[in-house]
Amino acid sequence: MTKLWHAFFEGSKAAMQAITAHGMRSALTTLGIIIGVGAVITVVAIMESLSANITDQLDDLGSDMVTLRAYTNPEQKMLGFSNKISYYDFLLLKGKAKYVSDMTPTMRAFSLGSSVQFGRNNTQTQIIGTDSSYQAVIHVYPELGRFLSESDDLRRRRVAFIGASVAKKLNMPDDPTGEFINLSGDWFRVIGLAEERGSLFGFDQDNYIIAPFSTVRSLNGSRATNNIDIMFRPKTGASLETIKENMRQILRQKHKLSENDPDHFEFVTAEKTKKQFASITTSVTLVASGVVGISLLVGGIGIMNIMLVSVTERTKEIGIAKALGATPQFILFQFLIEALLLSLFGGIIGLLLGYGLASLVAIFMPGTSGVMVPMWAIGLSFGFTTAIGVIFGLAPAVKAAKLNPVDALRYE
Amino acid sequence: MTLHEQASVIAIRNASKSYIMADDAFFALRRVNLQINRNEYVAITGPSGSGKSTLMNILGCLDNPSEGEYWLDGQNVASQSETELADIRNHGVGFIFQSFNLLPRASVLQNVIQPLIYRIMPNNERKNLALDALKRVSLSDKIKSLPNQLSGGQRQRVAIARALVTNPAIILGDEPTGNLDSKTTQDIMNLFDELHAQGHTIILVTHEADIAQHCHRVIRLVDGQIESDTNNHRDAHHD
Repeated sequence: MTKLWHAFFEGSKAAMQAITAHGMRSALTTLGIIIGVGAVITVVAIMESLSANITDQLDDLGSDMVTLRAYTNPEQKMLGFSNKISYYDFLLLKGKAKYVSDMTPTMRAFSLGSSVQFGRNNTQTQIIGTDSSYQAVIHVYPELGRFLSESDDLRRRRVAFIGASVAKKLNMPDDPTGEFINLSGDWFRVIGLAEERGSLFGFDQDNYIIAPFSTVRSLNGSRATNNIDIMFRPKTGASLETIKENMRQILRQKHKLSENDPDHFEFVTAEKTKKQFASITTSVTLVASGVVGISLLVGGIGIMNIMLVSVTERTKEIGIAKALGATPQFILFQFLIEALLLSLFGGIIGLLLGYGLASLVAIFMPGTSGVMVPMWAIGLSFGFTTAIGVIFGLAPAVKAAKLNPVDALRYE
Repeated sequence: MTLHEQASVIAIRNASKSYIMADDAFFALRRVNLQINRNEYVAITGPSGSGKSTLMNILGCLDNPSEGEYWLDGQNVASQSETELADIRNHGVGFIFQSFNLLPRASVLQNVIQPLIYRIMPNNERKNLALDALKRVSLSDKIKSLPNQLSGGQRQRVAIARALVTNPAIILGDEPTGNLDSKTTQDIMNLFDELHAQGHTIILVTHEADIAQHCHRVIRLVDGQIESDTNNHRDAHHD
């Protein structure tokens, strides 16, 4: 054991001397590892901060919020069907569904199109018809003015609660409340400006106009009973599965679906969105890891190549060491440690480089807040570089250790 | 082991070294018997191809004989593993080469310390031993120099210090003056004389007649066999 430790300690010193003696060559040798590790750290750090950011935003939206919407399976679509959730479905669920704390209907204003005008300015936006219960489900708060009230809905008032981007794009005054905007020929009075929410997946979260459900429904005309989405929040502690099952039964009964018919509707949760995003993140990370794995492999081969050259070049030196009493194990250790150190230095520099690069990218990329390099990525990088150092260092080290001292001494 | 062999630092019995070339075995050494006692001053000489390099490799434990026995300092060396041979070289043999074989990037002191690196001992002890050895070859003032900053004679002195630092059973020189001019050769030979006077066992492999004559005992090899073994010094030990 002492002998092993001695060989390790003295071998490390000899390896360090050899590395520093050929500074430029050592640096070039580790370049492959530096680039490989740098790339993996950059990609992982960016993906990680992106996904943390998006998870945060989804949580802000309310991770427990569920959307119930119509679903038409491909078979039905081919037969020309298009399933719908109606306002009556909403009323029925509102009365019957259990364990639901808040529920709101939302309708896209088809007749109003998506064009909005203020003075001479024009922009495209999303127009949502809903009622005062929307606020409790979606957690949208006014920066100025107020949200829709129950009476707005009852009296089918032509009022609008607008997102921050809409006000900006239309170049409205700082306080837009009381101003009138034109939605495809119909004038709406702005009653409130929403707090800014930022963007998610690169989508502007503030580009919307909310108008009373009944107003939008009446403007939609004959399509008043057309498709709506229902958003709700489960009561705290309630099982989402139970709620879904309960709603399914109510709706299937209402839609008169027989046992073998598929559901006319589906539930979409933020959890699902999170999972979808996580799977995107995972696949990007996997692809990146594959590419990086290959580049690390190439880096490892680079190290092996230089180590083999180095063994040949130092044949005489190895012969002298052997004549003076260096055991084969000692020589093996020395060259193995040299390869390992080269690889590890590459890993450390690559880590710093990757962190720097990720920070740089984070500055220019929206939707990221600070750079995080997860511990597993650091651990993996070091594990990988260590493995590469040992695996690709072994062949040259064995070659060196096996050199015949007589031949090695004669080598010129 | 006989009583006689115990007194000797080197005992070779019926040692042969053969290389397989094509279908034939080529014998570099044929049934050589040789004994060298402590504090002898021996030259091994002979024309090229006589087997003196092979003999030197075996004496220096760089190579094993194909057949026969080799006892160094009471230890049977033939048929030892590579690792054990390395250890025996480190403790038993001090090498001096024709081309010095110093590490070019290492200082004089580091070069002399090198054999001690393969032993478990504290660094300052290594340094002290190396400084002692350098003092004995009168190079105490050059410890920080690099080999290429030294003259040929000085380089060979560093090599001798490196051979001395382990206090080996034998000092083995392979044409130690082959790369030196006659003046420096004389200096180095005087140094060997001094070391011999201090009690060291010195074996020089050389093809130069005057170097061989300088030694007290001359072993002449021809075709892998000892042709003559003569004593040319009145004080030398004789078997």
